[in-house]
Amino acid sequence: MLTAFTRAFRTPDLRKKLLFTLGIIALFRLGSVLPTPGVHVENLAACFDQARSGETGNIYGMVQLFSGGALLKLSVFALGIMPYITASIILQLLVVVIPRLEALKKEGQAGQTKITQYTRYLTIGLAVLQSTAFIALARTGQLFPNCQQDVLLDPDNIFGIVTMVVIMTAGTSVIMWLGELITDRGVGNGMSILIFTQIVAVFPSELANIFQANKFTFAIVMVVGVFMIAAVVFVEQGQRRIPVQYAKRMVGRRMYGGTSTYIPLKVNQAGIIPVIFASSLLYLPQLITSLFSTSDNMVIQWISQNLATGDTPIYMATFFLLIVFFTYFYVSITFNPAEVADNMKKYGGFIPGIRPGRPTAEYLNFVLTRLTAPGALYLGLISMVPIVALAVAGASQNFPFGGTSILIMVGVGLDTVKQIESQLQQRNYEGFLR
Amino acid sequence: MASISGMLRNLLDRPGGVPLAPYQKIVKAAGALAAKIGELDELPAPEMDDLAGFCAIAREAADRELGLRPYDVQLLGTLALLDGKVAEMATGEGKTLSGAMAAAGYALQGKRVHVISVNDYLARRDAEWMGPFYASLGVSVGWIGQNSTPEERREAYAKDVTYGPVSEIGFDVLRDRLRTDAAELIVPAPEVALVDEADSVLVDEARVPLVMAGAADPGNAVPEMAALVRQLVRGYHYEIDEQARNVYLTPKGADSVENLLGVELYDEHEPGTLIELNLALHAHALLARDVDYIVRDGKVQLINPSRGRVALLQRWPDGLQAAVEAKEALPPSEKGEILDSITVQGLIRRYPQICGMTGTAVAVSEQLGEFYGLKVAVIPPNRPCVRTDELDRIYPTVPDKDAALVEEIQEVHATGRPILIGTLDVAESENLAKLLQRRGLEPVVLNAKNDAEEAAIIAKAGERDAITVSTQMAGRGTDIRLGGGVAELGGLYVIGSGRHASSRLDDQLRGRAGRQGDPGGSVFFVSMQDDLITQFIPDERPPAADPDGVVRHRRGAYLVGHAQRVAEGVNLEIHRNTWRYTRLLEHQRELILEWRDKVLHGDAASKALAKADSERWESLPEDTRDETARQIVLHALDRCWTEHLAFLTDLREGIHLRALGRMSPVDEFQREAVAEYKSLLAEVERRSLESFEAPEPDLRRPAATWTYLVQDNPFGTEWDRILKRVTAATRRG
Repeated sequence: MLTAFTRAFRTPDLRKKLLFTLGIIALFRLGSVLPTPGVHVENLAACFDQARSGETGNIYGMVQLFSGGALLKLSVFALGIMPYITASIILQLLVVVIPRLEALKKEGQAGQTKITQYTRYLTIGLAVLQSTAFIALARTGQLFPNCQQDVLLDPDNIFGIVTMVVIMTAGTSVIMWLGELITDRGVGNGMSILIFTQIVAVFPSELANIFQANKFTFAIVMVVGVFMIAAVVFVEQGQRRIPVQYAKRMVGRRMYGGTSTYIPLKVNQAGIIPVIFASSLLYLPQLITSLFSTSDNMVIQWISQNLATGDTPIYMATFFLLIVFFTYFYVSITFNPAEVADNMKKYGGFIPGIRPGRPTAEYLNFVLTRLTAPGALYLGLISMVPIVALAVAGASQNFPFGGTSILIMVGVGLDTVKQIESQLQQRNYEGFLR
Repeated sequence: MASISGMLRNLLDRPGGVPLAPYQKIVKAAGALAAKIGELDELPAPEMDDLAGFCAIAREAADRELGLRPYDVQLLGTLALLDGKVAEMATGEGKTLSGAMAAAGYALQGKRVHVISVNDYLARRDAEWMGPFYASLGVSVGWIGQNSTPEERREAYAKDVTYGPVSEIGFDVLRDRLRTDAAELIVPAPEVALVDEADSVLVDEARVPLVMAGAADPGNAVPEMAALVRQLVRGYHYEIDEQARNVYLTPKGADSVENLLGVELYDEHEPGTLIELNLALHAHALLARDVDYIVRDGKVQLINPSRGRVALLQRWPDGLQAAVEAKEALPPSEKGEILDSITVQGLIRRYPQICGMTGTAVAVSEQLGEFYGLKVAVIPPNRPCVRTDELDRIYPTVPDKDAALVEEIQEVHATGRPILIGTLDVAESENLAKLLQRRGLEPVVLNAKNDAEEAAIIAKAGERDAITVSTQMAGRGTDIRLGGGVAELGGLYVIGSGRHASSRLDDQLRGRAGRQGDPGGSVFFVSMQDDLITQFIPDERPPAADPDGVVRHRRGAYLVGHAQRVAEGVNLEIHRNTWRYTRLLEHQRELILEWRDKVLHGDAASKALAKADSERWESLPEDTRDETARQIVLHALDRCWTEHLAFLTDLREGIHLRALGRMSPVDEFQREAVAEYKSLLAEVERRSLESFEAPEPDLRRPAATWTYLVQDNPFGTEWDRILKRVTAATRRG
């Protein structure tokens, strides 16, 4: 991987792309630490530190993760990429519901461009909503419930508040643009790279905190982290190849069939979505308990005891089971053996020795089901390790190598390196033209 | 007002964004020079630093030599071309002359110009027509066509300006790549490409790679297989997909065939039978005589779908041609393997300077920008177009449409107004002609079968009482002049018997009427059963017709437009995919060619072989051994390239399956292709040495040409798949 990077830096136009990407990332980070005008920087920093040592930071867990800590700093890029991601998901779902959008999607690129345009508008709309909400929270002090200081310089100046909303919204549009710039002119997928940046960005400060708190925990965290990254890289690459032959052309003398035409079924066919779904779902109990913290209802009491924090056995079991469930669910909707078999049949492809159509679908289904079992276990375990490790070591919740973070990091990292390598190969035919 | 919106468009870089103001200034200056130059008996040689002077002289030259005095807008077109833009000029505005002036301008700058057109007819007509104009400016001109001999070609390419159809220029480039003697090379280094009908050449044709194939074995069509598939029944034994691009056996069909032939079709080690069967089935079920091909002189000849003309040099790939021949019970032609290929895109991008002209560029300006880095300049018409374009008339079924169409023709014909009917394929044109004859009308049919009479038919199409039924042949480059008294009747009336797969083709057909401010009219007759609708939006429910049988509901017109946009989207995706995958291939080809050139023109082969086996080298006769070495290495190189291409085609076919493992098919293709390429280099060296050491090396070579299409990725993204499932589930529920 390192050699790929050094070689990439020696190839002029790839170097340009890499530097461009790095430049954008630097800009992005700058915006993430740059405070929005009107924020009382010192008070905010004090509240932030206080919140981090407490438990309340968790409410915004996922959002905070994706914003690289920018959210609670009320920076220009506080909202991060979340509005854009949310807008994309909403629009993708709307395509199913609204026939007009579905028709647009079918019209290919021209229609897709329009949908992208709508996504951008929606992003801006969401950004206005979210920034207003967060600034309102900050204004009334609810952002840091345990902190008594004012985090805004002048909470009653409407003009100043509006300026902040406008700036945060503008920041979100800039992020959107930066992401698209990376996709167009840099390396890798812009959105993924920016998410990656935000996840990695919190590492140094988190690790430093742990280091200061307890040297022994720090060592364990590092060992576990490195081991997990290695394990994830290993499993992510694992695949089962089902050979396919296409019988549509008469080719010359050499037979190639079977060697390069195959269906790659990954051990982790589902990717990280099941983990994100499962953890999103488990934020609900936390949200409930924080909303009804004073209630003495039996159910809520039980929830706050068993499901609100990660160190109870019931939480762990639920988390694990949810991941296994979502893995099967996600694989079953993304990989439809019948559709794949149908497609192969149409284009004259078949698995040697197996009839096209139903028998092929059944075979694919069989292999897939057996492969998903270890895949689901793996996802569950990877996500559990940090929780278990921390429960044992008794450290705080702010463990940087969360299952989600690692899976996202490794996923994006592998994809990007692969893309760089393929671009390298395109240009760099070393050893040739002697 | 217009200039403000123009500025705004320019600011947003929207289609038609190239500002014309600088050109207009030059044209004005040229106008001021006109009187002075008009008095001269002998025209001075134009200086290319002074564009206004050049325009004035070229205008005077065209006036004197051709009797055509270019309008100001034609000069604008010329200047846009000289500036490396795509000029959009309406039909009848004199693109040919604008192009000729621009070509002459480039030639006078000392550059070699290839004027690339869509077919032989236009290339030859324009070259001969503009000949005197070029001569008066001291520029030499030549043309090539399908039937040109190598000597004629070499001579034509040696001229300052060469007219030729895009496929011929591409084939010449391909053939040059396989020459084994440097003296036989035909095409000089590319300098300027001036593309006529730019949207057709750069966008429509760009989807189909030009392929050079060599006859390897005699054809092996299997008549028994053709007979067998004739017994199969659609819907029971086999199915055809919605877009009519693929056909496949049902389980019952597979059972029947296995019983009849007594073989296991899906056995790993015997793919031969299945391939033969698939090919025969494809020929039987998907390719229709008089739509996809015609049979002429005992041969199967393909019809180019975007032009409606016979493509003499095209064949289907890999055994399909033989299967069609077997279906038509014709003797099999030679079977071949692909030696080399190039896409139109790869061909055009070789030229450091590209420009083009067409009547319909704005609709594809994004693609021109994306694939070629070209911008569009919209040239205003000399006189505003007064043609009346009626709304589509939509009918529920094809018979309803045909009946209404015949009715309309009869009604309009009674007034004496000339009518041009554009049909989508050969069979349809003949059916319609029959229907009209039954009514006692006398239509003239122009289609791929009688393209030789094209010029004569078109010359009469604008006269009183004319009824011309044509395929898309009449869609481009043909200028229909109105006969006497026709203008009073309302000019030429163009009727489309169905919307095309792209709005540009519709516009081209409409553009046959209303040239140079002539009156004219156009209308399209559409049915809800047209292929465009049933193939591209099969799931949509069409609205009901009014009591008089015409669909007037808003949704009808929307569906027609929607189907066309879906078709355009599909075709764009094919284009983009073709390019994504061929870009790598063409890059590798460039590297190989660089090596090949060193061998062909230098002594790279001798040096390498002498070093590898000096003993053998010493033993060879001194006068011929350089040539022997060269031929051996060239042969190994070309052989290995052919095999590499076969490997890539094979890889390409199944690479979309990688998307199922969340991998990017293009990147995967890249990875495998590069690895294979590296082993190719070693293989060339190994084989060269082997032949070198053999007493009688086998250096046989083949030749012949045809083209084919690549398959697109059918799965869609992961999101697409999820949504498809969810949609399906909700609809069911």
